Amino acid sequence: MTKNYGTAALAILGLTAIMTPAILLASGGNEVGFDAIVRDVESRYHAHAHRIPFMGLISVVAGVSTHGGVRSVHLAEFEDVNGPVDGEELNKLVEQHVGKGWQRIVRETSRDGGEQNLIFVHPEGNRMGMLVVDLDGHDLNLVQVSINPDRLTDEINQHSGKHHPQTDTDETTAKTEPESDKPSATASE
Amino acid sequence: MQRRILFAIALTLGIACATAALAQDELPAPSPIEKELASRASHVTEVTLNRSMLEFAAKFMDKKDGDNDKESQAARQMIQNLKGVYVREYTFDKDKAYSEDELEGLRKYFQTTDWSAMVRERTKGSAQGTDVFVKLINGQMQGLFVLDAEPRELSLVLILGPINPDSISQLGGNFGIPKDAVKKAQKEVRK
Repeated sequence: MTKNYGTAALAILGLTAIMTPAILLASGGNEVGFDAIVRDVESRYHAHAHRIPFMGLISVVAGVSTHGGVRSVHLAEFEDVNGPVDGEELNKLVEQHVGKGWQRIVRETSRDGGEQNLIFVHPEGNRMGMLVVDLDGHDLNLVQVSINPDRLTDEINQHSGKHHPQTDTDETTAKTEPESDKPSATASE
Repeated sequence: MQRRILFAIALTLGIACATAALAQDELPAPSPIEKELASRASHVTEVTLNRSMLEFAAKFMDKKDGDNDKESQAARQMIQNLKGVYVREYTFDKDKAYSEDELEGLRKYFQTTDWSAMVRERTKGSAQGTDVFVKLINGQMQGLFVLDAEPRELSLVLILGPINPDSISQLGGNFGIPKDAVKKAQKEVRK
């Protein structure tokens, strides 16, 4: 009887020893988020991600300068991706880690594996999360941003000289502004 | 016996769900033929946009083109009301990379009862040609399907939702929709 208990205990210990690394690996594979994608790309393609220093600060500056148009910027750059990349495999890798609610809207792939583009989006209220994966030869870039289209286009229009009536305080301002932009000939006369 | 009943229930439920999905104008899953084509193509572009994505994309179109532009406003309105856009573009290294049977399979896969053929253009002795199908419900265009087969390129465009024939061309060049395919469709729709 005691011998049976001993065998059972040994069996449980053995199973635990085998299962623990497997469970840990499995949970590691289900990690979600930008960093999880970067880590898996590094491990799968034996490439090293170059991170831009002070990315957090850059992200804050981007948010402030675009008045919330762009924020939560994440960027990783790989310059040493070796060999042809299987488009299907890269897509699965990203899908596995991108997280719930993200949808792929664009996929561009070349058979030789030298060119792969993926765009995933995630609606976040009036914002949209966007993840772009771009492989060109040995260079792979991963970019994730959160965009507010209203604020971003307002910001772009402001700098390109266009003004949107909704962004101006009142209709009068909207009507008079294009004229004020031009150095009017009549005014100088 | 009990197993058979369960199987019958599951089958009925499956059919009901599939019918409901089609009735709601949801974008279809890729057909097996597309997977075959993709494996032979040297370059593949896939764009899939559902309703919420299109609503969001319309916001970008709005201010980019300026609100005074009536045409772009109409296009924005149309895009906001669309239920889905599905584009596939296959580029091949050599001619005759696809067969007439594959094209016919694609036509059948994307059509349901409400669809009617508007254009059927064929090049003699080859699989090349253009097909335009429209989905008409109560006289209103509720969908557009274009299959454009060129010697080394195959484009497939499916647009679901209320479509304004005058604004179709505005979709060309946006969301991966080939301009030529949309122009051809607009020309025929306006006839």
